[in-house]
Amino acid sequence: MYGIHDLAALRCYSALSRLTNRFVVRRLIQAVPTVLGIVLLGFVLVHAAPGDPVLALAGENGDAAYYEFMRERFGLDRSLPEQLLTYFTRVASGDMGVSYVQGRSTVALIAERVPATLLLTTSALTIAVLVSIPLGALAARRPHGARDVGINATVLVIYSAPSFWLAQLAILLIALKLGIVPVQGMTTAGSAASGIGHILDVARHLALPAIVLSLQELAALVRLTRSGLIDELHRDHIRTARAKGLSESRVLLRHALPRAALPAITVIGARAGQLIAGTVVIEIVFGWPGIGRLMLTSIQTRDTPLLLTLFMTIALTVVLANLITDLIHGILDPRIRVG
Amino acid sequence: MRLCTGLVMAHALGALACAPEASDDRPFVAAITSDPGQLNTAITTNGGVHTAAGVLYDGLVELDLDLNPVPALARSWEIENDGALYRFHLRRDVRWHDGKPFTAADVKFTFDELLLKFHSRTRASLAPALERIDTPDAFTVEFVLRRPYAPLLQQLNVEEAPIMPRHVFVTGDPLRNSANTAPVGTGPYRFVSYTSGSEIRYAANETYFRGAPAIANVVLRVIPDPAVQVIALEAGEVDWLFGVPGPERNRLRQDRRFVVEQSPGYSGGSNCVSTLAFNLESPLFNDVRVRRAVAHAIDRHQVLERVLFGEGRVADAPISSGIRFAHASGLSLPDLDTAAASRLLSEAGWQRRANNVRTSGSVRGVRDGTPLTIRFVTMPGQTQYGDLLRAQLRVVGIDLRITTMESAVFSETVFKARDFDTAIISYCNGTDPEIGVRRQYVSSSIGPVPFSNAAAYSNSEMDSLFDAAASAIVVEKRTSLYRRIQELAVRDQPYVWLAETLSTRAHSARCTGFTISPHFVATARCRD
Repeated sequence: MYGIHDLAALRCYSALSRLTNRFVVRRLIQAVPTVLGIVLLGFVLVHAAPGDPVLALAGENGDAAYYEFMRERFGLDRSLPEQLLTYFTRVASGDMGVSYVQGRSTVALIAERVPATLLLTTSALTIAVLVSIPLGALAARRPHGARDVGINATVLVIYSAPSFWLAQLAILLIALKLGIVPVQGMTTAGSAASGIGHILDVARHLALPAIVLSLQELAALVRLTRSGLIDELHRDHIRTARAKGLSESRVLLRHALPRAALPAITVIGARAGQLIAGTVVIEIVFGWPGIGRLMLTSIQTRDTPLLLTLFMTIALTVVLANLITDLIHGILDPRIRVG
Repeated sequence: MRLCTGLVMAHALGALACAPEASDDRPFVAAITSDPGQLNTAITTNGGVHTAAGVLYDGLVELDLDLNPVPALARSWEIENDGALYRFHLRRDVRWHDGKPFTAADVKFTFDELLLKFHSRTRASLAPALERIDTPDAFTVEFVLRRPYAPLLQQLNVEEAPIMPRHVFVTGDPLRNSANTAPVGTGPYRFVSYTSGSEIRYAANETYFRGAPAIANVVLRVIPDPAVQVIALEAGEVDWLFGVPGPERNRLRQDRRFVVEQSPGYSGGSNCVSTLAFNLESPLFNDVRVRRAVAHAIDRHQVLERVLFGEGRVADAPISSGIRFAHASGLSLPDLDTAAASRLLSEAGWQRRANNVRTSGSVRGVRDGTPLTIRFVTMPGQTQYGDLLRAQLRVVGIDLRITTMESAVFSETVFKARDFDTAIISYCNGTDPEIGVRRQYVSSSIGPVPFSNAAAYSNSEMDSLFDAAASAIVVEKRTSLYRRIQELAVRDQPYVWLAETLSTRAHSARCTGFTISPHFVATARCRD
């Protein structure tokens, strides 16, 4: 049996849920023109950029007849508006096209690589969040104290260092000299491990690229958390909490941190989408088989169908990440209503 | 009639027959730079695909170290009608990796439906000469040519003409066949698995007609960064590198755990000559004296030492010394002589005041007072050429303006838009001048085709000489024709032939017995 208060709460919850559902649906509908716009822009940019896909594909030693034959095969002999119309007609019917270079469905090619990139980026983000919030809080407790200056200086150095340099350094020191983790790849070459053995093998390979990828995010998040907390600790409700005799840790963790984390969460949300595309350097240096590398290769070979499907995937990821960020905002800050 | 029967091979290919009984189950790991995407070498000339999949297939012939054809899938052959008919007798003991027998129908199908349609090099070189392919019986193949065609045998090895299974490709679109990523071949290794972006696994073909390889399992590992490949070798994660960056070579050489070797072959070609191409359509290079002056201003020994880390040799003829019968010795290519360069430039109307850049005075097609600034385009891996050449040409009053562009844009800029004055191009001469040299000089190769006649050099005598050399069956006749071709090239100087380059590969010292071929690992063995 529900009490009267329970029923009111239930009604309130269901109203909020309807509101949230409407918000999600509206945002997803808004995403359609956004994604289509990005793909259209991508199509124009890819075709406006110098570099003929057939020349890139066929390599040297062909003759004019061969290049003509390949152009006809891929429909590149038709006008740009015709190609665009064909492409969108196909996409509308759910056919995302076939890679010029690999002759396979672009969706299948991307689907093979997405798990690796997701594993890498979510691990990096998790590390970054788990390390940056305590570090930011530690720095904010005594602004301009020795600890704050030390943390600030360290993250500034990390933030300024190019990721390819950090990656090479990590490989040389941690993988080659100390031999703690492997140099490259996602699994041991030729490994027949399965089950828990396979998971441990992937974890060993994941450690170094995830840590290096997390460093840049970590540096940004530490600074955001620190400045948010310093700002928050001077507010009235914190003064009240302190006056009520709450411990400093409780004040920090229960009252200041949730609100101070909002800018950091906004950044994490924005970065989650960017990270999918931004792992290129890390994936190349560590030989990680993700979509960042696939994108680079498809740009180099002017593999337009693959590139456009990648654009669409990344655009959808960014839209989805922003949607999730907005929902989390609503939960953390009751003043924000999604509607 | 020339008859070639199955000679016992002295070189390493034959060593397979003497493969040891013991096998090594630890996977042999070779690093590759790029994910090949697919593994059908008959539908592409992409070097990455050929590197990754070469061990899966065979050609009708193999080429020995002197580029002479030796039996492979064909056990013998005859040449008739003055070189217009080649008849091949196939081995009868060859089976595809899926157990089906290999026959003449596979050869005909591979040429008609795959190579002559999709393999750009074979299509461009062989299609114009080929009338048809006949199969009088299940183990005989006849190539009927429109005219005598000398270099056919050099175009039938596994790199130029890998044979594919008809029963696998006979239905559907070959470019979208699932066997392109799960291939079936006749080669010393068979396909096991392909993990996109990560690795490809092969296992020894126990029924290989030359005997099973000693190394049971091979893994091709995708490691895009060449510097990380070296670190992976040092860490024991890989056993073989197809290439080593210049600065890392000495470090590996000094380490006894590794063997560093050089070969004239690359995954994308062999007998490559690093070449500076002049755009003869640019008014700057209309005058042969200017081209010769640039050649005199370049210290090619310095190029070899500083750019190529001493690995190769300064070119002494337009055709690589790797093609022995065609390479002309004793030609006088312009060497470093800045005085001669300055004199030639002044004679051509490019005057110099003090140490400034030269300017034009009565140069045809160039407004008086125009500075001698050359647009030099290059790809990212070749920027060191630009830096060095700029310093060298500056000495004689030439200003080099360097533009670096990625390879797809480079091809379009040089061969299609022709928006350049000079460019560095590595012309891989291959196993016969018909494969990799002709395209550089004949007028029919001027056009939007990558790595063709970049200079837009046109000389009817040169065209006739190449046609004659392609049809001449007697080697001595071809040698004299190619000598004349090279003399003409040196006289007209459409290019500066800088250096013959080598490919450096490295491997773990625990493994020995590798060959310079797409089957490189088939003859090797490793200690535990």
